[in-house]
Amino acid sequence: MAALRQIAFYGKGGIGKSTTSQNTLAALAEMGQKILIVGCDPKADSTRLILHQKAQDTILSLAAEAGSVEDLELEDVMKVGFNDIRCVESGGPEPGVGCAGRGVITSINFLEENGAYEGVDYVSYDVLGDVVCGGFAMPIRENKAQEIYIVMSGEMMAMYAANNISKGILKYANSGGVRLGGLVCNERQTDKEYELAESLAGKLGTKLIYFVPRDNIVQHAELRRMTCIEFAPESKQAEHYRNLATKIHANVGNGTIPTPITMDELEDLLMEHGIMKAVDESEIGKKASELGLTAVA
Amino acid sequence: MSVAVAETVAEIKARNKELVQEVLKTYPEKTAKRRAKHLGLYEEGKPDCGVKSNIKSIPGVMTIRGCAYAGSKGVVWGPIKDMIHISHGPVGCGQYSWASRRNYYIGTTGVDTFGTMQFTSDFQEKDIVFGGDKKLAKIIDEIEVLFPLNKGISVQSECPIGLIGDDIEAVSKAKTKEYAGKTIVPVRCEGFRGVSQSLGHHIANDAIRDWVFDKMEGKPARFESTPYDVAIIGDYNIGGDAWSSRILLEEMGLRVVAQWSGDGTIAELEATPRAKLNVLHCYRSMNYISRHMEEKYGTPWVEYNFFGPSKIAESLRKIASHFDETIKENAEKVIAKYQALCDAVIAKYRPRLEGKTVMLYVGGLRPRHVIGAYEDLGMEIVGTGYEFGHNDDYQRTTHYVKDGTLIYDDVTGYEFEKFVEKVQPDLVGSGIKEKYVFQKMGVPFRQMHSWDYSGPYHGYDGFAIFARDMDMAINSPVWKMTKAPWAA
Amino acid sequence: MPQNADNVLDHFNLFRQPEYKEMFENKKKNFENPIADAELERVREWTKTEEYREKNFAREALTVNPAKACQPLGAVFAAVGFESTIPFVHGSQGCVAYYRSHFSRHFKEPTSCVSSSMTEDAAVFGGLNNMIDGLANTYNMYKPKMIAVSTTCMAEVIGDDLNAFIKTSKEKGSVPQEFDVPFAHTPAFVGSHITGYDNVMKGVIEHFWDGKAGTAPKLERVPNEKINFLGGFDGYTVGNLREVKRIFNSMGVEYTILGDNSDVWDTPTDGEFRMYDGGTTLEEAANAIHAKATISMQQYCTEKTLPVIAAHGQETVALNHPIGVKGTDEFLMAISRISGKPVSAELTKERGRLVDAMADSAAHIHGKKFAIYGDPDLCLGLTSFLLELGAEPTTILSTNGGKAWQEKTEKLLASSPFGKNCHVYAGKDLWHMRSLLFTDPVDFLIGNTYGKYLERDTGTPLIRIGFPIFDRHHYHRYPVWGYQGGMNVLVWILDKIFDEIDRNTNVVAKSDYSFDIIR
Repeated sequence: MAALRQIAFYGKGGIGKSTTSQNTLAALAEMGQKILIVGCDPKADSTRLILHQKAQDTILSLAAEAGSVEDLELEDVMKVGFNDIRCVESGGPEPGVGCAGRGVITSINFLEENGAYEGVDYVSYDVLGDVVCGGFAMPIRENKAQEIYIVMSGEMMAMYAANNISKGILKYANSGGVRLGGLVCNERQTDKEYELAESLAGKLGTKLIYFVPRDNIVQHAELRRMTCIEFAPESKQAEHYRNLATKIHANVGNGTIPTPITMDELEDLLMEHGIMKAVDESEIGKKASELGLTAVA
Repeated sequence: MSVAVAETVAEIKARNKELVQEVLKTYPEKTAKRRAKHLGLYEEGKPDCGVKSNIKSIPGVMTIRGCAYAGSKGVVWGPIKDMIHISHGPVGCGQYSWASRRNYYIGTTGVDTFGTMQFTSDFQEKDIVFGGDKKLAKIIDEIEVLFPLNKGISVQSECPIGLIGDDIEAVSKAKTKEYAGKTIVPVRCEGFRGVSQSLGHHIANDAIRDWVFDKMEGKPARFESTPYDVAIIGDYNIGGDAWSSRILLEEMGLRVVAQWSGDGTIAELEATPRAKLNVLHCYRSMNYISRHMEEKYGTPWVEYNFFGPSKIAESLRKIASHFDETIKENAEKVIAKYQALCDAVIAKYRPRLEGKTVMLYVGGLRPRHVIGAYEDLGMEIVGTGYEFGHNDDYQRTTHYVKDGTLIYDDVTGYEFEKFVEKVQPDLVGSGIKEKYVFQKMGVPFRQMHSWDYSGPYHGYDGFAIFARDMDMAINSPVWKMTKAPWAA
Repeated sequence: MPQNADNVLDHFNLFRQPEYKEMFENKKKNFENPIADAELERVREWTKTEEYREKNFAREALTVNPAKACQPLGAVFAAVGFESTIPFVHGSQGCVAYYRSHFSRHFKEPTSCVSSSMTEDAAVFGGLNNMIDGLANTYNMYKPKMIAVSTTCMAEVIGDDLNAFIKTSKEKGSVPQEFDVPFAHTPAFVGSHITGYDNVMKGVIEHFWDGKAGTAPKLERVPNEKINFLGGFDGYTVGNLREVKRIFNSMGVEYTILGDNSDVWDTPTDGEFRMYDGGTTLEEAANAIHAKATISMQQYCTEKTLPVIAAHGQETVALNHPIGVKGTDEFLMAISRISGKPVSAELTKERGRLVDAMADSAAHIHGKKFAIYGDPDLCLGLTSFLLELGAEPTTILSTNGGKAWQEKTEKLLASSPFGKNCHVYAGKDLWHMRSLLFTDPVDFLIGNTYGKYLERDTGTPLIRIGFPIFDRHHYHRYPVWGYQGGMNVLVWILDKIFDEIDRNTNVVAKSDYSFDIIR
């Protein structure tokens, strides 16, 4: 058996990270790979499409009920879904209370100590939007995920987040050996999206591993709490996810140490592609009224 | 080079300067630069002691300092005996500070007083992840069931509370309402705040202001005021210090309406704004609330020092100066009354202690305050420093120390050891963490936080104990046996 | 004026003088807004009732007077057992001040330990810089051979990664690349001090055996005849470890004590301060991989460490703080079985002496009821010994004991007719114990210094065995392990029993007919 591959999907919230990761992993499972998904988002929706339901029994909610994680058994938290994919959700508090980051640490320690990684080919961590505190960086620490895939789009904030995540990876890359596997662009149909994604990948010292076109079938599948792979295996979109899965599968050892860029460089990049218009220095900090512009709705 | 060799002030200064340079050599450059600002010597005529203070400790150097929680729970709030103080967070902080500070009080512990108990929310992982507010609310409910005679509750935050964003203020307010206006005080004294215990004192003072005083407005007093009402501020009654102080104030005709906070009660805290004068012993930990009462209620405050007969007499007169002739006469009577005791104590112990040298390192008051007591016994302070003093403390220190005295702020374990090794004092006065280091070196030692389980040291009654203790530390026969007779 | 220069009155006499008593009364009456005497008395009596006990046991959130500390304390305990090793606790500095004070109050010895002094800015940005500067300073100032890193809850909540931080610090030159910096995450909100001991011991072993966090080749085990020994978190570590060494030597068995803090907490007063003294050498720690087996004296202190050792191919044996005859028999037979060497004649004779002493004194202990509290393994060890003495353990409580411990203790009790009427309480505190001492009274209580509050409130005489012991001196120098250790425990129990008999029979013309000079 090949060595265990640990990968992680990071990306700005709402970018379609969970959808992309679950479809890709479903395709990997089709290829005969044994998969474990570790959801590291307090919303606990990283396994919804695989399980056809939102995971009710997260590690942290069960631990809170039982007293502590020491009182849990692996069976309590691990569910099996489509194509025998094993799923666990870390779970966490409601927004605004407690410390979700600490929850991620707790959950991953629990899984490792209880042998959750035995007998699988892939462990995939699905991690909340941005690297917000030390806890959310847990999956990229040494001996955790070796390759990070950043799900992004041609929107400015998604690219900003991708750059930020690269900074997080860089911090751990030298000491721990984590690598950036590549960018996955989820098409939002913004201007020159492909080119932009390609050049950002270039700047970050990585590559655009796949460009996933937008297709309504994803929404149809999602409404039925399924991946496209399961919902419409013959669809074009399913084929795209299979291609992405194949690329990731072949990408072992090809990760790079990212070279994050400054905010200025990022803005330059957007301007280069005409996404952002250059503004005269003298206009910075001026109101529309001052500039004689009419208010735009 | 030791004191025995360096005799003139110039020689002592040269030696101390050299000593500072020597210890700095051990540090990496960046650290040496930072530490250099905290080490020095007092030059006569200067307004302070020439060292920086109240600055972050350097990682990895073995600072002796504690944290804001220690300053709030351990120092200011903990001694309020009829309240329950919850150490809110993991179990350790409350455990290590459980009854270790010797804040004496009278009461039926566990029934109407709670000073030597450890109440903790014993945070578990789930409390960190999901937040601890619900648990806190439940804890308060359980306290009300099991300890119905408690007069109030304080919530002493440990590090995680601030990090996970718990809203202890909201819980406290809700529970105050639920329990008919009960005093419930949230205190944001997380250990990572500030640079030492000192910020904890300040936070605790502010919490009294905001959650005790403000609640009192418009409520009737429990007693008739007299012109002679005073409050003792900043005496934690370690080994009974506040008691041997109170007795003197009462003997001179004053009425002590409150003790802050040793053997104190919530009723006394509430009554304090009615005092005519606040007498402040520990300036460092309670100047904040004294200033507040001065501003808000117009209550003047006066610093005093009840260590050793010279300072006690000076302080009694200073306090009396705020009152009428009767009190001033009474102060003289009190001084006279205890003269014989002081003479006897000095006659007995001074010959045994004359000329002995002392190095001190304590918290925020005693590094200067106890100097007079040592001098009454003919002893000399050759080095002193504060764990968490501020610049105003080092200014006040100039009235106590001699030209050339070695000064060390936030001293590190390494520095203190080297200083004592080179200066070879006859006695070191510091804390439990330092005690055995110096005793191993054969240097007599007294703990000057806990009075080494003795005390009181305040007041005339305390001075006798102080003198006896210093004698027994220095003149114990054990120090003559540290070298084996066959060893070279 | 009560004070007197010729006969200086201490606090315990000074404040009983009439001047002070009057002052206290006036303070209370005029300013304290006191509870009325009758009400105070009513509530005081109520706290002794079954009803109160029920309410007390219904507590779900509040902990009162727990008998446990937090993980980092155990981390420091384990770390100082290695040669010239300084514990470095990453997080808030106040914690370290507390650990050092706590140990110094128990051992009456210095305890050296440093902090990375994280403050508010580190809470926001992480403590990497504190680690970088801290390791450099510690290394330069205190010249250790090893720095053992653990964490406070602050660093754990913000999620600092020790492995990555230490590697970065080494890259920045804080300490040389090859310098040993084992680490363990020790969150205070998980487990207790015994968990911290376990995590650090595991961290040190993994560091030396498994390639120093990926910076050196993993060690290959070449089995030899040695036995590794783990004492666990133990307030009697000074006396115990010396006794254990004597036992191994007496049997001619080669051994390695992992975490030998018996010297650093028992240094001489001879003019020199020894920051480091004795300890397991780093070489011994590494070579311990080759041992034939590892014996842990405390199962619940080594739940994570032993499986790591076992995974390297060693046999592991876990005992429960053996005290007394059977416990020591088991310990010695384990050494004998593993080493193939017989229990020495010397030890066999000592066994006979302990049995002899028990026979001489059993009459005074037989049938006496005991309540015990402490760390889980200590409770088991003491219970086993009491059962051998014909005493009747009635209440056993461990704040840091779990369900598994409870079941194990109940099984031990079931093995003896003297254990029939005993109840075991896991996860409860000393305020629960207070209720139990009122509703299910016993003759004697065994516990640490905090037990004196229970003794005062309930009148149950306290025999001080446990950690911490702050208010009696030097007991940590005596072993409680081995037959000699059993002898010590026997004497401590007997001393209290005889003192109690004398105290109850010393009233002239009332009870002093029983004030016997021969017992």
